[in-house]
Amino acid sequence: MNTRRFALKTMAAMTTFGLFAGSHAFADAAHPKVALVMKSLANEFFQTMQDGAKAYQKQHSKNFDLISNGIKDETDTAAQIKIVQQMMVEKVDAIVIAPADSKALVPVLKEATAKGIIVVNIDNKLDADALKEKGISVPFVGPNNRTGAKLVGDYLAKTLKAGDKVAILEGVSTTLNAQQRTAGFKDAMAAVKANVTNVQSGEWEMDKANTIASAMLRETPDLKAILAGNDNMALGAVAAIKTAGKTGKVKVVGYDNISAIQPMLKDGRVLATADQYGAQQAVFGIETALKAVKAKTPQNQLPAVVETKVKLVTK
Amino acid sequence: MYPINQIRESLMTTQHHSTNALRSIKHQFGDYLGLMIALLLMIGLFSYLSQYFLSLDTFTTIANEIPAVAVTAVGMTFILIIGGIDLSVGSVMALASAVAGIAMLQWHWSLLPAVGLAMLTGLLTGLVNGAISVGWRLPSFIVTLGMLEVARGGAYIATDSKTQYIGGAIDWLSAPVAGQLSPSFFIAIAIVIIAQIVLVKTVFGRYMVGIGTNEEAIRLAGVDPRPVKIAVFAITGLLAGLAGIMQASRLEAADPNAGIGAELVVIAAVVIGGTSLMGGRGSVANTFLGVLLISVLEAGLAQIGASEPTKRIITGCVIIVAVVLDMYRERRRNRRSH
Repeated sequence: MNTRRFALKTMAAMTTFGLFAGSHAFADAAHPKVALVMKSLANEFFQTMQDGAKAYQKQHSKNFDLISNGIKDETDTAAQIKIVQQMMVEKVDAIVIAPADSKALVPVLKEATAKGIIVVNIDNKLDADALKEKGISVPFVGPNNRTGAKLVGDYLAKTLKAGDKVAILEGVSTTLNAQQRTAGFKDAMAAVKANVTNVQSGEWEMDKANTIASAMLRETPDLKAILAGNDNMALGAVAAIKTAGKTGKVKVVGYDNISAIQPMLKDGRVLATADQYGAQQAVFGIETALKAVKAKTPQNQLPAVVETKVKLVTK
Repeated sequence: MYPINQIRESLMTTQHHSTNALRSIKHQFGDYLGLMIALLLMIGLFSYLSQYFLSLDTFTTIANEIPAVAVTAVGMTFILIIGGIDLSVGSVMALASAVAGIAMLQWHWSLLPAVGLAMLTGLLTGLVNGAISVGWRLPSFIVTLGMLEVARGGAYIATDSKTQYIGGAIDWLSAPVAGQLSPSFFIAIAIVIIAQIVLVKTVFGRYMVGIGTNEEAIRLAGVDPRPVKIAVFAITGLLAGLAGIMQASRLEAADPNAGIGAELVVIAAVVIGGTSLMGGRGSVANTFLGVLLISVLEAGLAQIGASEPTKRIITGCVIIVAVVLDMYRERRRNRRSH
């Protein structure tokens, strides 16, 4: 009796264990683990992106698992590198990453690809030269920030004439996104021969941008417009214009279409912004990664760029 | 024996200061003078470099930008005087403004209760900082480092990590009333004056200096330093909460990322003002000059369009030079008084 019970127990235990092990093995084959590595989740833009990805995972929970991570602030590159390393330890099948820095993340991503992990780049494009130097290719899924910024800049340009003075509030200058948006703004301004008198970094943040915008307004009393690399900085510029008593005289454009910008668009304090469909960006990245994992496409045979749409928002 | 001598000496020196008023004023003036000259030099330099710097606009804008840093720096001065430090002020600013934003936008509170709640939040974080570091005799550095994270997390939760646009309802604090100056500015000035009086003219102020100089001696003199210390942390929390409101008012929005790194700017301003990181010595009035110095530097560098790296290098150098000069000043004063 005792022996029998023991045997039964053992069998039950073994079956459970076996089933568990089996299901685990099964999971590895048809249930890939995708790691989403974000920038600052304190930034609404990335929060939205992550929410979109999580919603997508819920709908497709049978197809894959999602591990989502972010860093504390946008410039904390070291923390993000650590997260990528942890994801390698976790033996994920794919990493979808919005790099905090377009160059500094390349070496650790090379390590990941060397371990057979599919790496897909979203949001902030990795530096082409850095990738080439490390001999890897990482597909970029996302919008063209330069085209997007030009779209916004062109809309502003309709209200400007040749020689008008404008200033640009750039994001964190070391990021390609910030550089691309500034370049797009400059393209648009050059097209109407407006004069970009001042480009300074507001580090993507409202308070910093407010201080800088105040200084710009003092330095160039006949400034006609401020082009901000994101909406938070646009909000800072709007407050600075109000303080300077120049509401309505200096136009502001932003980028990202966050919810706090809506009242500004309505009453014209902000002329336009761009919507990059933040929520879908991570999803597009995940889709690209899943496709590659499923088809067992090697990293270096993935397309270099998968461009997503950018919409001009004026109301 | 030694501590009792110490306390007697420290009590004597405070007496000495109040009786020998002329000499004290001379010292004080000497302190102000150094910072004033530095400030004037800086203004002169920027006026030379930028056509528009030397204008009323520049100075009113700076005046309206400094209240948040100034009131936080007042609290930080007190904390440094008692030999502590508070790293959480930047996060507490963000938390307080987030709480105010949520109260106004989601619970539809009117401005005053929302501001009250925000300041209460600040006060609570300060109380917790003080109670924990005093109760368990932990270094305030590490306790407030913890609070830096906790308050920041709280701000993210409160705002759902989204910038909350509050709008005109909160702007009265920063809307110009007299000249082009805002209520925030006058409140900050009032707080600086009151705090300076508290520091030099009240028993509480003398206890703070005593605790920073030699806590054991204060205890042996029959004074329990713990309530004083907790009160100082609570005051700092309250002031950081007020600063959060001031900033939210100026930007008309509650930014969950507000005040990241503000603690360092505040500590720099306080130390430039000659307050010792070792405790026992400091002046709120000088702190205010330190705040002005940093703000003029920031505004001037932005106005001449200096690049980001240049800004950082120059700001860093100014901080170091200020502290080195302060050390020499202090040495000279010690030589004189002995």
